[in-house]
Amino acid sequence: MAKILIIGAGFAGHTAALYLGSKIGRKHEVTVVSNRDVFSYLPSWVWVGVGHMKPEKTVFKLKPVYDRKNIRFVHAAVKEIHPDAGDQYVLADEVGSGRETRLDYDYLVIAPGPLLNFAGTPGLGPENGFTHSICSYPHAIKTRDAYLALCERMKKGEKVKIVIGTGHPMATCQGAAFEYIVNVHKDLVKKGLRDKADILWLSNEPALGDFGVNGVQIKRNGHMLRSEEFIKSVFNDHGIRYQIQTGVTKVEEGKIHWQNYEGEEGVTEFDFAMLIPQFKGQPFKYIGKDGSDIASKIVNPAGFVLVDGKYGLPYPELAQTPEAWPAKYQNPSYPNIYAAGIAFAPPGPISKPFTNKNNLAIAPAPPRTGMVSGTIGRVVAMNIIDAVNGREPSHHESMTEMVAACVASMGDSLWDGSAVTIVMRPVVPDRKKFHNEYGRDLFISHLEMGLSGAWMKFMLHHTFMWKFKARPGWTLIPE
Amino acid sequence: MQQEFSKAEKFWMNFKLYQLWRFIVLNLKIYTVAVQSKRK
Repeated sequence: MAKILIIGAGFAGHTAALYLGSKIGRKHEVTVVSNRDVFSYLPSWVWVGVGHMKPEKTVFKLKPVYDRKNIRFVHAAVKEIHPDAGDQYVLADEVGSGRETRLDYDYLVIAPGPLLNFAGTPGLGPENGFTHSICSYPHAIKTRDAYLALCERMKKGEKVKIVIGTGHPMATCQGAAFEYIVNVHKDLVKKGLRDKADILWLSNEPALGDFGVNGVQIKRNGHMLRSEEFIKSVFNDHGIRYQIQTGVTKVEEGKIHWQNYEGEEGVTEFDFAMLIPQFKGQPFKYIGKDGSDIASKIVNPAGFVLVDGKYGLPYPELAQTPEAWPAKYQNPSYPNIYAAGIAFAPPGPISKPFTNKNNLAIAPAPPRTGMVSGTIGRVVAMNIIDAVNGREPSHHESMTEMVAACVASMGDSLWDGSAVTIVMRPVVPDRKKFHNEYGRDLFISHLEMGLSGAWMKFMLHHTFMWKFKARPGWTLIPE
Repeated sequence: MQQEFSKAEKFWMNFKLYQLWRFIVLNLKIYTVAVQSKRK
């Protein structure tokens, strides 16, 4: 009987667990260890952050689902990974009792989600800083409370400055911030308060609508339409100001310090700011048989797990080398260790990086949340099933092959709401396969705004909650 | 270069019958490509 241990129960870890539990959970031991005992549907936190959805509607308890799917659940925070052959185990502290627990494994999936590196930008974040975030459940609730308090001030006639975007020069997840800014706009319009707010999009993207994936390009009526023009139209239409090519370096009470591509330094004042932090890998200790630190064999300096990618290529070369992107998400030093979701180390950025004259790198990191995370979780699970059954891992899907769909909400009303629906294939441009300057399948890639997107977003919330609860037919719903 | 949505574009964005059609088309498109991915 093989022991399979999954660290994390987000989109990637939970997807992997459901496939493994359903397919081999009766014969083998499948365990999930997570410091949270609930699954969180993150994409709906943009609605929580403006008070349009109750936070409890975005979460459910994991254990009842795992009990049905032959998965053991351990509610504990992982601290050490001991990967050397013969004695492979993970040490974790149980949440509540604090008791140390040892979890042995034959196969390990590292999918704990990101460490929100608020410390990377002095003054950033809701705990020790002055800005808000929608990147965790308590943060989304705190953001909602602060936003609603701001609305009360506006109702009394006060004019306010709202800044939404990225809070670190290397931050990712611009899509979530974009959703939040347009939802704030729509909510203020509905409340009759829009004229009381100056809203600014502040981002590290090289161009508007880049989203860390080098933008989206589609063919419409014989013409090329780029996400840059599209998002510019959205912002112009909504009266949202924008400042891109900007890395936030420090935050003080009511003041955001930044540098831009030209190396200029500036300060932007705010009354309310929601800025996405830099993401890092979880700070687990990787310990060898002799007690030595072997982290460099498993993770990069940022804590992301090294997998079957080609690392170290300069950006121009990487952009022409789609095969540099990992496809099996298997660690080369320890082939029984896989990484899924944000935990795997990408070989480099998708968008063109930039370093200004002050040597500050301003470059969005590759997003690998949502559909990408779920897809990788499935690929990893299928490969472990192969290995457990004595076969070579045969499943693969790199981000240069992967399709991703993103529905960016712009108001949740099913009557007059809206959303931008983005479909791109592949997520990372493959200029060898797709012979156009964008490296994308222009037939599949799609960019559209309208009420249908609001319906899609509503439908996705409910179908994904169904899927992640492993209700009947869950495998038919794509990742 | 597009800088603002035209009146016609805004009309179609909220025209319910057209949006129902787009909803069906988008679902089919996403489902088809996602299912292809699942076979890998």
